[in-house]
Amino acid sequence: MISTGVNGLDEMLGSGIPQGSRVLYSLEPGVNGQLFMISTLSCALARGHSCLVIFPNTTVEAYRNDAARMYGARLDLASGPVTFMDAIDRERIDKSARSAEARASEWKARIQKLCRDHQVTVIFAYFDLLYEEFGLETAMEILESAREGTEGRKITLVIEHLNLEGTPLIERFIRDLSFDFVLAIRSSFRPFPQFNYFTLVHASWAQIPVRSLPFIIAEGRIIPYIPRIVVTGPAGSGKSTFVMNAADEGHSIDRGGTDGDSTTVVLDFGWLRWKDFDITMYGTPGHTRFDPLMPPYLRYAMGVIIVVDATKPDQLTRARHLIDMIVKRRIPYVVAANKNDLPGVMSVGEIRNHLGIGEDIPLFPISATRKADVNFVIESLVDSITQFTY
Amino acid sequence: MYTYKSGIAQIDEVSGGFDAATNILILAPPMSLGDQLAYALTKPLPGEYAIVLSTNERAAEVVDAFKLAGADKRFTGVIDAITKSSTPTIVDTPRLMFVSSPTDLTGIGIKFSNMIETIFEGEFSDGEAGLFPPPIRFCVNSISTLLMYRRLEVLYQFLHVLTAKLKKIEGVGVYLLNSESFDEKTLSLIKQLMTCVIEIKVEQNINFLRIRGITGVNGDWMKFQVTRGQVVILP
Repeated sequence: MISTGVNGLDEMLGSGIPQGSRVLYSLEPGVNGQLFMISTLSCALARGHSCLVIFPNTTVEAYRNDAARMYGARLDLASGPVTFMDAIDRERIDKSARSAEARASEWKARIQKLCRDHQVTVIFAYFDLLYEEFGLETAMEILESAREGTEGRKITLVIEHLNLEGTPLIERFIRDLSFDFVLAIRSSFRPFPQFNYFTLVHASWAQIPVRSLPFIIAEGRIIPYIPRIVVTGPAGSGKSTFVMNAADEGHSIDRGGTDGDSTTVVLDFGWLRWKDFDITMYGTPGHTRFDPLMPPYLRYAMGVIIVVDATKPDQLTRARHLIDMIVKRRIPYVVAANKNDLPGVMSVGEIRNHLGIGEDIPLFPISATRKADVNFVIESLVDSITQFTY
Repeated sequence: MYTYKSGIAQIDEVSGGFDAATNILILAPPMSLGDQLAYALTKPLPGEYAIVLSTNERAAEVVDAFKLAGADKRFTGVIDAITKSSTPTIVDTPRLMFVSSPTDLTGIGIKFSNMIETIFEGEFSDGEAGLFPPPIRFCVNSISTLLMYRRLEVLYQFLHVLTAKLKKIEGVGVYLLNSESFDEKTLSLIKQLMTCVIEIKVEQNINFLRIRGITGVNGDWMKFQVTRGQVVILP
């Protein structure tokens, strides 16, 4: 497998991209997505793959400089097993061959020679100009020609394309050209100008539903971002403890309750970096008088954790009501049966029966005071978010 | 909604200026005042920002031209598609960004988004006015150069995205195109993306302009000059 260089994405794919695959990173205009291919290139080089990088729109030096600036010192293009074809090669081909057919042949011959001479196993190509000059089929034939005469060596092809035609072009890559992995990198221009996300459109080797996830770029890395996980449940079930224990940074807005304990009155807020996902958590108050706050909390939630007190059967009716709200909005959720370290806890089966949920909904007996338990619940929810079929 | 002063009395007196989300095509022959007019319309007024996508001169030259036109350079950004081919190691700053060449539409799109984001986040310059959305004037100083490197259809699709984004952020766009180098099909396709067209002609060394697409503005040819970034309509 070849790592994409994005840990969160590799998790979704089951550790990366199989060798010999055809990979498309489809970039919408304006989206800051060039780091995807550079990250994959860096990982391929780190694993000792011999790489050919084709970028007809710029020079080797400018590319090296840009890549180093985007990705940092981890990417060493000067000493890795990497060969380049750049804008200068393109100019030479344009000068030496007059017709489009002759130019295509020249491209093929040069790529084949480089692949043969350097035992290339992964090709990275910026596709725009080849596509514009030769059209989709011929441009792909040029790149695919590298596979000829490789004596069984599987060559992986990774292309980055500025997609000005949208979904129809992506469908052609999948349907007509049998691409194995297609990631569409997009941006929303509102409410802030730049809000990047990727959509895992197709992975031929894995049963993964089409899934979109926002991402941020920090420290030269692409980090999938889950902007809202809601933690909810009946009052006193341990939601604040859960959020505070889960978060790298967290705050709870509490005041003294009538029973002498503190109770959440607005929200708990937590931020965490988990397995290369950047996650923001919102804990809701549990009392029914705060229920009008629930729709706005849930509106943009990507997942929900329901925390119930496993020692209090009388709370489960309230939890079931909350689950109804979530199911109606088709949000993936998991249940954390908290206070499992205390005496008098219900069994998992009893809780499932009370809540009316089947085996398909993950339910974990936990203690929210234990970080390991909390992490287990988050891991399960992230899996649900990235693989949930809407 | 914000209105951008054009500095042309015939426009500003009738409509107050260009409405936000207006895209203006300047069709000008070579050796005319087309580029000066484009910069005069892009020059940021107090509280505004300007971004120039330069496909035919270096960022330093664009900044100088704006300075001569009386613009505050702290509010002027340039996406330079020229310098990097000779200086590949050049580094971006918030106000000066570089792409490898005019063929690099991916890079242009990214730098455009980055610069807009920098402005929206208030990190573009000192002394920001705080208007939201920030008024942004955007100029492509030559669509003609882009057309030399990329096919019309591709460029049309790219400009379609760019003009749409500019509309969303309520900016105003000024696009300069050589009126003599391209056929009617090219001109009419590019015009489809625009809300207003300013045509320029030169007769006996005198520049004339004609404005199309702004309600209430006279569509007759008018003599004009550009002096220190100010458009002067001559009698």
